[in-house]
Amino acid sequence: MSMVKHEKTAPRDAPLSETTFIGWLQKNLFSSWINTILTIISIYIIYSVSKSLLIWGVLDAVWVAENRRECFAISKHGACWAGVLIWFDNIFYGRFPRDQIWRVNLGGLLLVLWMAPLWLPRVKDKIFIGLSTVFLYPFLAGYLFAGGDKGIFMQVMTTGAIVCLIGNTVHSILGMTSGRSLPEYLIAVLGKEKASDGNQRNTLLAILAVAYVVVYALQMGWTVMAVPWSKWGGMHLTLVISGIGITSALPGGIILALGRRSRLPVIRVLSVSFIEIFRSVPLITVLFMATTMFPLFMPEGFVLNKLVQVIIAVCLFSACYMAETVRAGLQAIPKGQYEAAHTIGLGYWGMMAFVVMPQALKHMIPNIVGSFIGLLKDTTLVSIIGLFDLLGMLRAISQDIPWRGLHHEPLIFGAALFFVICFAMSKYSRHLEVKLSAGEKH
Amino acid sequence: MKPNSFVLSVAAVVAMSFAGATVATAKTTLEIVKERGHLRCQVGPASPGFYNLDAKGNWYGSDVSICQAVAAAIFGSKTKLEIQSVSSQVRFTALANGESDMLSRTATWTLLRDTQLGLDFTAVNFYDGQGFMVPKDSGITSAMQLKGATVCVLTGTTTELNLADFSRVNNMNIKPVTFEDSNVRNDTYLQGGCDALTNDKSGLASNKAAFPNPGDHIVLPETISKEPLAPAVRQGDAQWFDIVKWTVYTLINAEELGVNKANVDKMRSTSTNASVRRMLGVEGNLNEGLGLSKDWAYNIIKEVGNYGEIYEAYMGGGKLGIGISRAGSANDLWTKGGLMYAPPFR
Repeated sequence: MSMVKHEKTAPRDAPLSETTFIGWLQKNLFSSWINTILTIISIYIIYSVSKSLLIWGVLDAVWVAENRRECFAISKHGACWAGVLIWFDNIFYGRFPRDQIWRVNLGGLLLVLWMAPLWLPRVKDKIFIGLSTVFLYPFLAGYLFAGGDKGIFMQVMTTGAIVCLIGNTVHSILGMTSGRSLPEYLIAVLGKEKASDGNQRNTLLAILAVAYVVVYALQMGWTVMAVPWSKWGGMHLTLVISGIGITSALPGGIILALGRRSRLPVIRVLSVSFIEIFRSVPLITVLFMATTMFPLFMPEGFVLNKLVQVIIAVCLFSACYMAETVRAGLQAIPKGQYEAAHTIGLGYWGMMAFVVMPQALKHMIPNIVGSFIGLLKDTTLVSIIGLFDLLGMLRAISQDIPWRGLHHEPLIFGAALFFVICFAMSKYSRHLEVKLSAGEKH
Repeated sequence: MKPNSFVLSVAAVVAMSFAGATVATAKTTLEIVKERGHLRCQVGPASPGFYNLDAKGNWYGSDVSICQAVAAAIFGSKTKLEIQSVSSQVRFTALANGESDMLSRTATWTLLRDTQLGLDFTAVNFYDGQGFMVPKDSGITSAMQLKGATVCVLTGTTTELNLADFSRVNNMNIKPVTFEDSNVRNDTYLQGGCDALTNDKSGLASNKAAFPNPGDHIVLPETISKEPLAPAVRQGDAQWFDIVKWTVYTLINAEELGVNKANVDKMRSTSTNASVRRMLGVEGNLNEGLGLSKDWAYNIIKEVGNYGEIYEAYMGGGKLGIGISRAGSANDLWTKGGLMYAPPFR
C-alpha cells in the first residue's frame, strides 16, 4: 500500500478573487460593510461631479460658432469651446505670421527627433546626444524662429547643428538596427578596421569636415523671413522661455553650488551673495527690474530686446534655486567618497565629474524636476509685463469682441495643457530614477 | 563695507558717463522713429473697444487706430507699427525709458499725471465717465438709490477711488467689493454677489453685451466721474507732441469736413473747400512745422478713416464695436452738440 500518488495532481484554478473582475471588486471595494458604504458614497460623489462636468463640457457644449452670442443661442448653459478652437493658432503660436507657422512646428519636430534617441534602448553615446541638444539645437531653432539675415556666426552654428542632427539620427538608427555606432559603421564600410587608431581618427575627421563643408554650402542659400520677437507668443513663447531657463538652470546651478562650497573666499562670497539676493526677491520683481529699470541705466537708443532680458532674468533666477538643490545633493554624498576619489589620484574637477556629481545628481532628480515644473508655471508671470505667453493669450480671448466674457473655457483648456506637459516631465523623471537606481533596488 | 562702496562708486561713474552720452547724442523722437522704420505704440492688456487681439493675432480697436494714424502720418502706411501691450503698473515707465514712442491707451488725463510723470497728454479722443449697472428687476433707476448697496469694482483703479468719493459726498455708505480680474467681477455680479457693478461707461456697455441675457440689466443714467482719455507722449519734444496731437485733430476735422476713407481721393482732386484742400496738402504747406510729408493728413484718412468711422467700427454698432450710441454724447462732434472740437487747418 502506498500513500504516494503516482500521477501529478492537476493544478487548482486560481481563486476567483484573483482572476475575475467581480472577484476583484469584492476583494478591493466591498470586502466589509464599512468599505461597501464608502465605495457607494465615493461612487455617488464621482458620478454627480462628473455628470455635471460631462453635461457642461461635452453634451451641452458648442463646438462651432461665429461668436459667443451664437453659442448662447445654441446652448445657454454649455461650454463654448468654439472660441477656444478659433483662437487655436493664437494659443499655440501667438502672433507668429500664419504662413510661417510651419517653422515653429519644424523646430518642435527637430527637437523631438534630436531627443528621441535618449529614450531609445541600444543607442550609444547618449551623453553626447544630450550635450549636442543643449549646445547646438538652440542655434538651429533660434534661426528657425527668428529668421532674417544669418550672420557668419549663425551660419557656422546652424551648419554645425544640421550636421550634428544628421549624424545623431543616422547613429541612432544604426544603434537600433545593428548595435553599432556611427564611427564604427563608417570605418567598417571603408574597410579600415585594421588601420591604426590615428588613421581611423583622421578618416572620421575628414568625413566630418566634408559633411560640414557640403552642408555649409547648402545652407547658404537657405533663408527664412525675419519674424520679430514681439510676434512670438502663446505656448511657443512659454516653451521657449522655460526651455532655455530649464536647460541653463542645471549647469548654472552646479557652478553656483560648487562656488558656494568652494574654499576660495572670493568665489564663495560671490556665489553666496548672488544666490541669496536672487532667491530673496520674487520673480515678478526680477522681471520688472530686468524689463523696465534696466533700460533706464543704458544709453539712449540701446534697446536690448525685452525677450532676451526676460530670459536672462529667468535663467539667473532658476539657477539660484537649482544651486540650493544641487548643494543639498552634494551634502548627501558621504565624505568617504571624496576621500576615495582623492586616493585614486583624481583632482577636484575629476572628483566632481566622475565620482561625486553622478551620485549626487541621481538623488536630486525629484527635486530638480520639481524646480523645472515650478519654473514652467512661473513663466506665466511674463504675461504681466506684456508678453503674450500661453496664459496671456488665454486671458485675451475674453476681451476679443466676438468672444467677450469667455474666460472659463480658455482657462480650463490651459490647465489641461499645463497638466499634460508637467505630468510628462514628472513621468520621465520617474523613468530616469528607476533606471539610474537599478543597482540599489530594495 | 569698503569693497561695496567702491563697486557702487564705479557703477555710478559708469551710469553717469552713459547719461552724459545720452545728452550729447539726443535725437528728436521723429528722427528716432524714422530711423527705426516703424512706430512703437503702447497699449494695455486687451480691453474691449480700445485695443483687442483678434483670433488671427492682429490688434484692433479705437486706440489702435490712433497708433495706426500716427504711423500713417509719418510713413504713409499704417502697418509700419509695432503695438506694445504693457501692463498698467509700468505703462509710464515704459514711455519714460524710451521703450515706447507714445501711449495710446485708456489713461485718464489728470493734473497729477500731466505734471508729475514726465509725460504730456495730447488731445482727447474719447470722453468716458464712470457709471453703474444694476439688474433690471432690482427696480433701481437712479444711482442715488444705491444707499448701503454693495458694488463690485476693480481694485487699484481710479474707478475704485471715484466710487469712494461718490459714496462719501452723497453720504451713501456704499460697500465696495473689490476684484483684480474683470471676468471674476462680472461673474460675481451675475451670481448676485453685489447689488450693482461700477465701471467706465464704455466698459459697462461691453460687459453688458457679454452677459447671457443683456436685456436683464440696465446702465443707470448718472455719470459720476470725468474720464477724458488721450494719447500721451514723453515731455520735452514739442514736435513729437504736435504730431500726435494733430493726428487726433486730423481725424476729427476730417469728419467735420465730410472727408472719409472712401471719398478722400475724390476730395483731394475735386474739392473746392479751402479747408479740405489745405488739410489734404493740395494748398499751402501746413506740413512743414510738423516735419512730415505734404500728404501726411491724406495718408491718415486714406489708411485709417476719420474719427466717426473709427468710432462706428469699434465703439459704435459695427461688427467689432461695443455698441455705445454716440448721438448726444460728449463724443459727438461740436456741431452736433458734443465735445469733439479740433482747431482749424490754417
